Formats: sequence, C-alpha cells, structure tokens
Amino acid sequence: MFRKLLVALISFAVLLAACTPSATPVPQPPSTTGPLPSTTEVPSTPAPTVLTFTDGLGRTLTFTGPAQRVVSLAASNTEILFAVGAGAQLVGRDEASNYPEATTSIPTVGGWSGFSNEAIVALKPDLVLAGGINPPELVAALEQLGLTVYLLPNPATLEELYTNLETVGKLTGHIAEAAALVESLKGRVAAVDAKVGSIETRPTVFYEFDATDPTKPYTYGPGTFGDLLIQRAGGDNIGAHLNGQWVQVSLEQLVIANPDMILLGDAAYGETPEKVAGRPGWETLSAVKEGKVFPFNDDLVTRPGPRLVDGLEALTMLLHPELFK
Amino acid sequence: MSRLSPYLLSCAFLTAAILLSIAIGSVFIPPTDMGRILTGWFFAASLPESLQTFAFIIVSIRLPRTVLVLLTGAALGGSGAAYQGLFRNPLADPYLIGVASGAGLGVAAALSIQWPYTFWGLLAVPLAGFLAAMLTILLVYSLARLGKTIPTTNLILAGVAFSAFATSLTSLLMLRSTGELRRAFGFLLGGYTQAGWNPVLTILPFLAIGLGFLVLNGHTLNLLQFGDEQAQQLGLPVTRAKTIILVAASLATAAAVSFSGVIGFIGLIVPHVMRLWFGADYRRLLPLSIIGGAGALLLADVIARSVLSPQELPVGIVTALGGAPFFLWVLRKAKNQGYW
Repeated sequence: MFRKLLVALISFAVLLAACTPSATPVPQPPSTTGPLPSTTEVPSTPAPTVLTFTDGLGRTLTFTGPAQRVVSLAASNTEILFAVGAGAQLVGRDEASNYPEATTSIPTVGGWSGFSNEAIVALKPDLVLAGGINPPELVAALEQLGLTVYLLPNPATLEELYTNLETVGKLTGHIAEAAALVESLKGRVAAVDAKVGSIETRPTVFYEFDATDPTKPYTYGPGTFGDLLIQRAGGDNIGAHLNGQWVQVSLEQLVIANPDMILLGDAAYGETPEKVAGRPGWETLSAVKEGKVFPFNDDLVTRPGPRLVDGLEALTMLLHPELFK
Repeated sequence: MSRLSPYLLSCAFLTAAILLSIAIGSVFIPPTDMGRILTGWFFAASLPESLQTFAFIIVSIRLPRTVLVLLTGAALGGSGAAYQGLFRNPLADPYLIGVASGAGLGVAAALSIQWPYTFWGLLAVPLAGFLAAMLTILLVYSLARLGKTIPTTNLILAGVAFSAFATSLTSLLMLRSTGELRRAFGFLLGGYTQAGWNPVLTILPFLAIGLGFLVLNGHTLNLLQFGDEQAQQLGLPVTRAKTIILVAASLATAAAVSFSGVIGFIGLIVPHVMRLWFGADYRRLLPLSIIGGAGALLLADVIARSVLSPQELPVGIVTALGGAPFFLWVLRKAKNQGYW
C-alpha cells in the first residue's frame, strides 16, 4: 500500500515538473516612482525622448525617460556614474565601489562572492547597471524579477570607453555633462600623445600586479588596459608578447629581459620597493639597483572608467619625467 | 519510541528550517509584517502598498531559493545514505565515485566558452555539469565491471582515480581561462548562481526518479549489508540491484550538483547522524536522510546568506564549518557506539 502511494507521489512529481515554467504565475514587482522604463514596447504615440539601446549582451532596451534610481553592480560603473554627474541618482552599489568618497554612504547590495537579489529589489531601482565583471546568470535572475538591467560591456580601447560614458549619460539624463567629460578626456589624452611623440627612448617596464609567488609574478599581457596604457605612455611592456591577458613571468625571464622600470600594481596589498629589493634573486635587476621601483594605484589601469586617463597621465609621468620638467 | 516519531521529528525540523529560510534574508522583514503577508495569502486578501515589496521578495526570491535548497539537500542526504549502504563504507559520500569532479570538469569547460544570452545559453553550464557527471559515472562503472559483477572495491578505486584526473584537468582549465576563474571557483565551493523557478523545475524530474527509486530500495540496501554473496543467496539479484541504486543515487546527485555546485558534508554527515539517532534500517534511514539533508542544507543556506549580508558565503564552507563539529559532538554523545 505504502509503495503504491509512493509510486503515485513520484508520478505526480514528474508530471508537475513536466509543466512549462511559464505556467507558474509570478506576482508583479511593485511599481517604481518616476518615468517607468518599458522593455521593447513601442509606444503608440511617438514620445520625444524614446531611447533605444543595445547593451553588452545584445539585448535591446527601450526607455521613455532617464533613470532616477540606479543600482551599480561594478566599481567602474559607479565611477562613471559619478563622473557624468549622476551620483545623486545612485541608490545602491557593490562592495568594491570605493571611489569617489561619496560612494561610501550608499548602501551595498553584494560583491565578489555574490549579490543579494532581495537587497537590489528592496531598493526599487529603475535601472540596474551591470558590468562585464557580472555573470550573465545574475542579469537573467534580475530580469526575471522584473528589473531593467543594462550591461555596460568592457571597453577594449579608449574610444569604446568614450562610447560607454556617453551611453551612461543618455541613460541617466546627463548627456551634456557626459559629452563635456569625453571632450576633456580626449584633450588630456591628446596632450599626452603630443608629449610622448617627442621622446627618443622607450623604457622597458615590468608591471607587477600579483607577486604572491615572487619567483613567478603576474603581469598584464596583450589585450589589457594595463598593456595599452603603458604603450601609449611611451613604454614597452615586458608582458606584451606573452600568451594571455593576465600572465605569469618567471624570475629567470625577468632577469634576461632586465626591465628599466618596475611598477608595483600590488602596492595596495603591501608590496613596497624595499620588499622587492629584499626578494631573493631580484637584487640583480638593474631597476632594483637603480631604485626605479615605484608603487602604482592598480585601480587606475583596471577599472574601465574615466580614471583610465588618470592612469595614463600617471604612467607618463613615471616613465618620462623629463617631459614634465 | 513509536515507529512514527522519527518522521515526526524530522518533518518538524524541516518545517522549522523552511520557515526560517523564508523569514531570513538580507532584507529584514519585521515578524509582524511577515505574519500579515502570510495571513493575507491564506485568506486571499489584497495587501497594502507598503507590504507589496516584501511579499514580492518572499514569493519571487526566497520561496524559489528555499525550494531549490530543499531539493538539493534532499538529494545529497538521500544519495549519501544510499552510497554508504551500497559501499558498506562509513566514509562514502555522494561524490565518492566522481560525480562532483566530473561535474566540476564539465562546468569549467563550459565556462571557458561565451554562451549566447538565451534560455538554452543560460542553461548550458549546468547542463554541461550534469552531462559530465553522468558520463563520469558511466565511465567509472564500465572500468569497475568485472564480467557480470561490480566489486565495490573496484568502483571506489576507479572512482577515486578518475576523480583525481578530473580534478587536475579542472584546475588546468581554471588556470587557463583566468577571466572565468571566479565563477568556476564559486561552483567548486558550492553556491547558487541561478535563481527563480527554472532550476527547481529542471531538476525536479531527476530528483523524483532518483530519490523515488532509492526509497523503494530500502529493503534491498538492508540485504546488501550482509555482503554480495549472502545477499545473492538470500535471493537478491545483486548486480542489478547495485546498478539501479548506483544510477538512481548518481542521477539525483548530478542533478543537484549541476545547479548548486559542490556542497560537501551533507551527504556524509546527515546519514550518520540519522543512523546514530534512529538506527541503521535503510527502509527508514533513507527517507529520514532525505528529510534531514533538506533541513540541514536549508539551515546552512540561511547562515550563508546572513553572515556576510548582503554578500553570500559559499554554502559549502558553512556546511563544513558547522557540520564537522556538530557531527563530532553527536558521535561523542551517542549511546550506541559500534552502531556501524
């Protein structure tokens, strides 16, 4: 008898699972204040500010107005939002967002080891700005909960960065400010290019961003902004002809390559020029002997936001101090 | 103790764990509001505006998550008990013959490809994990077979050897695709990346079939405790029974692991605790392990969600940190030492 009951229960469970997922009704999310962005709905009477975007995942999103409550899921997005003047519209951020100072007062919704969908929903955002660093499953989960998610793709060049800045300006209603920001960034980059155009030698640079194992430190390879900015700042990145974006270099290769300068991107984790000089085997490098080991703020070359230009200028000043005398 | 009271106790524990899982999350919902929402549903009343966000959170976020965790815990507990009975080994857990390492390899391989953002694209990674896990079982089974019999020692050895191989391949893949390292690592630590009802509906048929077969084979597992030859003489078709139990337990585990990552300790500890408290009769042990595993994983998930709120700890860390001391305490206090 019990077995028959069990078999019946199992068959019921299997039949239940055979129902399509769309059959389960989902309660509608609570309405948000302000102009509601609608997804892929064409309005019957053409409104003057209908904006259509295609985001980093290839999805098409339509907005009827600028977003007023934004949740940022990446530190770079937070920096971009503040840079285009949309800082007041930010209502939630991820834990890694630490620049500018004003972000620390905004509530967090998650970080490296996952985001809390509840916390994001409770903030009632009308736009969630995701970045390349967020997995597509997170975007799908938030979409299923009725939120509007825009994934800002990681730029590969500075031009793509400018496009991202303009997009965020349009999304948040700060088009003029974004355009002004892009112009000023372009001006600063052009100034750097002009200065760098007049150099005679390009120093070789070893940029270290992880030296947990001092005999095999990590550096930036081709395809990363670290590599791109070092090249643009008038240096030759040791990692430029390596295989992969974040690659290990053995100490032996480093000794052969003998870079003119060593930049410590892991300075935030406690690496100092003194510690580097104390590493066994590193004292033979000419950069260590001449004292050309400098700490560097890694955020300036890894976060795909306006501070990349700050990074470019900082690199130029380190690589070619003679241009700034 | 009556024959029903272990079930009552376990079900009470499970119910308490479910309620806790629905009530606790990174957003604090005051108990009075919680009560109003639940009574509102019960009497199909409409909720005031202020409670709608909370109701939405409970129904659309916490409830699917609770059910998914419940199913995962049930799968792990049930298949852990089945593996311990099948291999007659107190160290057996659902990952003994390579389900976890196979799934990890499949997931790491799938994560190195950029899948399109469609329904099937989002399902690709868990599906790859599931298929890799089932292929692993098939491979280990074929390697261990000796004519018409499946010696359990061979199964364990083949499983352990293949697990080591798969784990090293997984590590290699993770090192090569450094961009997706964090996601692969998150899978190996155990955690839930997909939300909503889709994962629940996807794994439900596999769990129903797998756990259903296991529960029906309680008597078979009791017979297998006597050893293969004795069981054969008692009339059990040993090879067939072992194959069914192996496949059913692995099916349930593979389905659970594909969405939940590698969560350890539940499959190992919960059957032992149930055996210490309620005896080693598999007809009773299997359902109790299923219920106990579901409750235990729900508790671990609640802790994982609340400790570092709004971030989430990987559940596998909480089960190990909490499970090991708890089990040692149960072991020390058990009256029937020599229960195995």
